Amino acid sequence: MNAAQRRPAFYRYALATRLSHWLWFVAFLVLVGSGLQIFNASPNLDASDKSDPARRVLAIGSPAQGVGTTTIFGHTLVTTGWLGWTSDGMGERGPRAFGATITIPGYQDLAGGRRWHFFFAWIAILCWLVWLVSTAVKGNLRELILRRDDWGKLWPMQAYYLRLRKTPPDHGTYNPLQKLAYCSVLFVIAPFVVLTGLALSPGIDAIANPLTILLGGRQFARLWHFAGMLLLIGFFAVHLFQVLTQGFFNQMRSMITGWYRA
Amino acid sequence: MKRRLFIATSLSTLAGCGPVTAALAQNAQVQRILGAAEPLNHALIGTRGLAREYRDRDVDRNFRVNGFATPADAAYERLAAADFRDYRLVVEGAVERPQALSLAALASMPQRTQITRHDCVEGWSAIGKWSGVPLASLLDRAGPRADARYVVFRCMDNDGAGNLYYESLDLHQARHPQALLATSLNDAPLDADHGAPVRLRVPTQLGYKSAKWIARIEVLGSFATIAGGRGGYWEDQGYEWYAGI
Repeated sequence: MNAAQRRPAFYRYALATRLSHWLWFVAFLVLVGSGLQIFNASPNLDASDKSDPARRVLAIGSPAQGVGTTTIFGHTLVTTGWLGWTSDGMGERGPRAFGATITIPGYQDLAGGRRWHFFFAWIAILCWLVWLVSTAVKGNLRELILRRDDWGKLWPMQAYYLRLRKTPPDHGTYNPLQKLAYCSVLFVIAPFVVLTGLALSPGIDAIANPLTILLGGRQFARLWHFAGMLLLIGFFAVHLFQVLTQGFFNQMRSMITGWYRA
Repeated sequence: MKRRLFIATSLSTLAGCGPVTAALAQNAQVQRILGAAEPLNHALIGTRGLAREYRDRDVDRNFRVNGFATPADAAYERLAAADFRDYRLVVEGAVERPQALSLAALASMPQRTQITRHDCVEGWSAIGKWSGVPLASLLDRAGPRADARYVVFRCMDNDGAGNLYYESLDLHQARHPQALLATSLNDAPLDADHGAPVRLRVPTQLGYKSAKWIARIEVLGSFATIAGGRGGYWEDQGYEWYAGI
């Protein structure tokens, strides 16, 4: 028996938290994969209302057989094999923005991608609502909310991580940086991604046109939606890094069984 | 090293999702479950409000041409060669007064002009100035019977394999004030590539609802017996019948 196992375990994550966590994980992967499938049908992002090549921010294409290019703000990079000329999901390579290894379905299927995307968008939103209500009712939400006195502790916490400070500032269950990260994702970025997605709907646009206008137009909303996805992927990457570096098995156990060893 | 091994394993597992999702994508049961989002979207978003109407200067002068190839059969070419003088827009089915309207007859009805955005399911958008007869006026003229529920648009274009394009709206969507039978684009008579002589414009839904080259309109209680039975050419290929999102 090693030292870690002798340490006392405590119940860290409630069932609702664990279920919503894993459901989000699945929904996130499906939403990204199916979203890239949908992107592939028109692999450009314009900072405009209608499509406008003069305001093109991102374009992924294949100018010639066997060549893939990515153009960002007018700068073109050759991205053959990664973007623009990629696997088509049928054993060949072809002119596709994102390849079959990361799109859902793997092969080109816009209708299928849309079905996956809308279904899991509902799952993610309903999951968010259930999580919000259950954590609020249980009182755990309070531990997560970033408060005024947390702002002043953000740098000391960062300094502690950078080993510029010996001890972390006083904090509760979550430290100020964790609160900032989780609050940003749960209450800012995720709702932003939902709203920018809704603004792409012509039906929603007819009901809530100010939303589309606020985002700079429909194509701009598509650009924001994509940017929101990149932010979520960024969070996911950091989150994964932390899980891997801070006691992977302990972290996984606590998010599966609820029990964490201090 | 273990950690690196884990990352490598995770990444290759994710890469392996392709075949897994492909299998799921071809499972009818799975697809039925995923399809549950459509009635939710329809119920929540529906057909409400009005699509934004733009100014003249917002218009795309070269409105993008998309959809199937312009009909090239002898019947269509004959109609086009005579400036569609022999064309009749037929309205039939569950209506009190079936119609067969010439372009002149359509032009004599109250017209509507709207500058609206066309949002393609592929993701791109274009703005056009459309004029024509509100679909609601035509329905009033034909008088849907009590058993009428859907308005089905039968088109002259086909997918290259002989399957004719068709689309449908329910009576509520068909009576939306911006559901328009357009005969003009950007102040000129609708040209062949944009759906001449008559096309539909439904700016509250995605572009595939806005059928081009309309030959006749059927008012029906159900579209289940037409082609794949899902209410439209692209619907039969797996796209949603409710295309408001």
